[in-house]
Amino acid sequence: MSPLLAVDDPVLLSFADEVGASGPVAAAGRRTRWERGGALHPDTRLVTAPTGIVAYSPAEMTAQVRAGTSVEEFHLALAEHGQRSALPERGGTVGGAIAVGENAASSLGRGRVRTAVLQIRYVSAEGRMVSGGGPTVKNVTGFDLPRLMVGSLGTLGLFAEAIIRTNPIPEVSVWLRSDDANPFAVPTTVLKPSAILWDGDQTWVELEGHRIDVVSEQGRLGAIGSFREADGPPALPHHRWSLRPAELASLDRAATGAFVASVGTGTVWATNPAPPRSLDLGVAALTERMKHEFDPTGRLNPGRSVATA
Amino acid sequence: MDLHLDAEDLNSCVQCGLCLPACPTFRVTGDESMSPRGRIQLMREVQDGDAPLTDEVLRSFETCVQCRACEPACPSSVPYGHLMERTRETLADGGHITPGWQRVAFKPLAHPQLLQIGSAALSVAQRAGLVPKRLGLSAEIPFRQEPLTASGTDVYLFTGCVMDAWQREVHAAGQRVLEAAGFGVTPTAELAPCCGALQAHAGLADDTRGLAATMMANLAPDRPILVDSAGCGAAMKDYGHLLGTAEAEAFSARVFDIQEWLADHLDKLPQARPLDLRVAVQDPCHLRHVQRVHGATRAVLAPFVRELVELDDDGMCCGAGGAYSVLEPELAGAIRDRKLGAIDRATPDLVASANPGCSMHLGAADVETAHPMELVDRALRQV
Amino acid sequence: MAGTAWSDRLRNLTGRRAGTTPVADPLVADLQQALSADRVHDSGVHRALMKKDASVFTGGVSGPLCYPETTEEVQAIMRIAERHDRAVVPRGAGTGLAGGAIPLGAPIVIAATRMNRIVDVDLDDRVAWVEPGVVNLDLTRHLQPLGFHFAPDPSSQQVCTIGGNVANNSGGPHCLAYGVTNAHVVALEVVLPSGEALMLGGLDAEPLGYDLRGAFVGSEGTLGFTTKVAVTITPNAPAVRTLLLSFDTIRDAANTVGAIIADGIVPAALEVMDQRITEAVENYVGAGYPTDAGAVLLAEVDGLADGIAIDADRIGEIGRAHGAIDVRQAATEEERALLWKGRKTAFGAIAQIAPDYYLHDTVVPRAKLADVLDEVYAIAERHDVLVMNVFHAGDGNLHPLLVFDARIEGKLDAVHAAGSEILAASVAAGGVLSGEHGIGVEKQAYMDQMFTDDDMDHQGRLRRAFDPVCRANPGKVLPMGHSCADIAALRSVPSEVWG
Repeated sequence: MSPLLAVDDPVLLSFADEVGASGPVAAAGRRTRWERGGALHPDTRLVTAPTGIVAYSPAEMTAQVRAGTSVEEFHLALAEHGQRSALPERGGTVGGAIAVGENAASSLGRGRVRTAVLQIRYVSAEGRMVSGGGPTVKNVTGFDLPRLMVGSLGTLGLFAEAIIRTNPIPEVSVWLRSDDANPFAVPTTVLKPSAILWDGDQTWVELEGHRIDVVSEQGRLGAIGSFREADGPPALPHHRWSLRPAELASLDRAATGAFVASVGTGTVWATNPAPPRSLDLGVAALTERMKHEFDPTGRLNPGRSVATA
Repeated sequence: MDLHLDAEDLNSCVQCGLCLPACPTFRVTGDESMSPRGRIQLMREVQDGDAPLTDEVLRSFETCVQCRACEPACPSSVPYGHLMERTRETLADGGHITPGWQRVAFKPLAHPQLLQIGSAALSVAQRAGLVPKRLGLSAEIPFRQEPLTASGTDVYLFTGCVMDAWQREVHAAGQRVLEAAGFGVTPTAELAPCCGALQAHAGLADDTRGLAATMMANLAPDRPILVDSAGCGAAMKDYGHLLGTAEAEAFSARVFDIQEWLADHLDKLPQARPLDLRVAVQDPCHLRHVQRVHGATRAVLAPFVRELVELDDDGMCCGAGGAYSVLEPELAGAIRDRKLGAIDRATPDLVASANPGCSMHLGAADVETAHPMELVDRALRQV
Repeated sequence: MAGTAWSDRLRNLTGRRAGTTPVADPLVADLQQALSADRVHDSGVHRALMKKDASVFTGGVSGPLCYPETTEEVQAIMRIAERHDRAVVPRGAGTGLAGGAIPLGAPIVIAATRMNRIVDVDLDDRVAWVEPGVVNLDLTRHLQPLGFHFAPDPSSQQVCTIGGNVANNSGGPHCLAYGVTNAHVVALEVVLPSGEALMLGGLDAEPLGYDLRGAFVGSEGTLGFTTKVAVTITPNAPAVRTLLLSFDTIRDAANTVGAIIADGIVPAALEVMDQRITEAVENYVGAGYPTDAGAVLLAEVDGLADGIAIDADRIGEIGRAHGAIDVRQAATEEERALLWKGRKTAFGAIAQIAPDYYLHDTVVPRAKLADVLDEVYAIAERHDVLVMNVFHAGDGNLHPLLVFDARIEGKLDAVHAAGSEILAASVAAGGVLSGEHGIGVEKQAYMDQMFTDDDMDHQGRLRRAFDPVCRANPGKVLPMGHSCADIAALRSVPSEVWG
């Protein structure tokens, strides 16, 4: 075993001890999405993941960060070197962002959380420190545990630390707003918008890159509507719907209430809660087998389930 | 069993698989045993691994079209065509492939009078509806044709066997084009009755060597030999390898595809109003993959037609493969289906093909074809 | 000019001479009944050809070979495999380099090549639904007129299949900017070894449940068989610039790569070739690669014309500051295509030098590229093996290419010894065992350099949730003792291929 990959960080090891090997347990972050997946069993012991940025190498575009670190703090450190990551800034922790797996409103430009996690370290139901993935931006060594962990709501392991892929902050970022543009024409008008948001009336587009490119893209947008610079994205309603991009055109305010939709990804923030979703029977059974393999006694985040999230 | 394959040649394949998509039989079957990599592996299994010559092994070798599209696709330059010809020669010698009826069928090729008589008979039979269309013969085999006459001694025009019997009008067109460019032409006629390509593909390399020797003895050693059939040209350019003599090497060096020759003498061709046609170029495999002079077809044709259009299938074989379309009609048909798809997508008025086999095979599927020389000739002769 | 439906008549092409030999093996009989006689092969030919892929590994023993055409047929094969307690191995084009498709224990080989339809291109959702046997480049060509492409572009893209890309989470030069296969697969229809067909992932923004799609991609055929894939389609960039930078030393080239990334540029591709491989490539393609330079860097930027002009100039500047002796831009699309053809056929081109090669695939931090390369050359020299380096420099993905003649006594041992030292050196530098080829049978024994027993135990759990008895491609990825590598199927007596 390469010494570089061995877990010898006493902070992580003591977190593993704290999680231990028995009794219901969950890790609490900032509780911004605490309700996801159902209510925790009341007897559940809460632990807090360790904090701190362990290593950051701007030239490698990777950062090793402990799960309890807030995303804002993490991004401040990255910004000092002109970088950022795909994790959404919504008041939570790095571990929470991975556990929940929600993408940022600008995910077209910043990437998805599920592709940003290069390595994950978590405490298993048996109280062991387990690593999946690896430290480099490209890696196919072994089964892809980081992918499995993103969005798992802490039901397979409690996150201690992750290596996150970072990206350069573009030279220019600008938000534009239009009252008359067809939002669904934007993807075929500009090459790589970082966000296209639509509330049923107005359209917001985030353009990023070289100044000269942003200016020319802005000119192209003029062909589909009149766009003015905006301060930023609109406020996003509380509830989150997950639709196919093609379904957005037929959004019904009667069902969603006020909404902001992310054109190109299918995420919709709405004032009404999303209708309940359920897994196909076969996938539900596989989900249960997975849970049972990783947490045979059901001690991790008891009461919480990805199948009802 | 020793297939008499050179160990270094056989070993030059590193089994990377880059040849697979270029292979027409693999493309239509998805079957490794119908791919160049698979066939080479089987050659190794037979030659080095003592694998028995089962029916499946022989099928794998027999189903190769020998289009040699795998050769330009191969970054390791494996001499696949020579490996396959050698394999077939060994197997034919041992009586494992190329049954007697096929050997008999190849015989008339070397005998012009016999071929003319046979063709006339076939022509009659065809007109009487007795020839199944799936054999892929040209729409109408001519009953009798005007003989070609020599106009000078600058170049030979190789006329060969089947093509001379069935498509002499192509030779006539080629000769007129050459003459328009100022070359005196001697049609080879009985001086060179057959190039031996089909025989070599069937593993009857000794027959080919005999025909090569005849041709080399009959043709004067001082002038270029122009060929308007891609398969024949490729075979004649390979005499050096086949006979392994300096004389044969020198002979092969004098062989040119007719388009290749004209592309080097474009300035000599008179100008003409382009034909009002959108023409798709279908490269015969042995022009593109073996002779690799398919650029010349475009260079020569472009000034004489309104529009040239490429097919989007990377020069994939049409399935004709010499006698292949007759011997393996199902595979040849499936391969042709892919070609028909590419032709449909290119929406041409007609397809230019510089090989008689391709023209006949495509013609049997109702594709209108013309030899590039016929098109140039037509443009030059229009008022 | 519609053609005859000849494909319907492609029957019994390989077995025609064999006539109606009765099938003795009940497994084969069941398979033939479930598919059709002409799509199940048990002959020596087929079993001999299935025992290898494009890797150096031998020792595979294949059972019957099946060509399913539908999901239902794959399900039937899985159920028959269960009934006969036989393992299954998926196979695409057989271009894998880690031995992932090598059959161990005479399994049923399930070939994807006849499931090769592009089912649908959905421009509204920007996905294409394809069957696993679709060739990577065929998909991109199909999308070309629509203005899109499939971003992962492994060097074998003209032959490798999308199913194989899914199994290996394939990369390629342009994954530097666009991400590897996992980032481009949104949903998968798979058949589990139980015979159950499931849809993993989905086209919606954030599908419910565990990311089983993500877990499946890159699992090297050990979780089940992919029968349909929804991949994202990427708009073609309106402009592209390709630069060729020449250097005296490979160290200069490697340091240039690190400096470009550190500068905040994200090129579409950054590829380095050393002098030996450049010579071999130039010999094959004649693209104008300088054969006298110690190394070349192929850099590509794509996007909007103005911005990439800035990036291209900047790359040139950075190159010169790091010792580039020449910087040139491809002037035409033909020149660009030729440069890429050279890069992408590099591995095959080395057969001009020796008949065998062993291609490694480690990743190291970009900052360590130069040092690890030095070490790689030193290791090769110690073992008296010729090494060439051609690699995806932008993401630190090394491809040391050991070139040899396996017929020379002891050479293969030396190659393996050198390879194992290269792996160790890469991991010691903070890297990983494989960037895009996978573990297969090649690197199982080295997994413990990266993972603890607990780590591998958890990978095994992921595997078991999909495939409790490890029927799918047993003996791969995890080392013996950490998985069901030693299941009954592997202990079954290998049958004689030419029996």
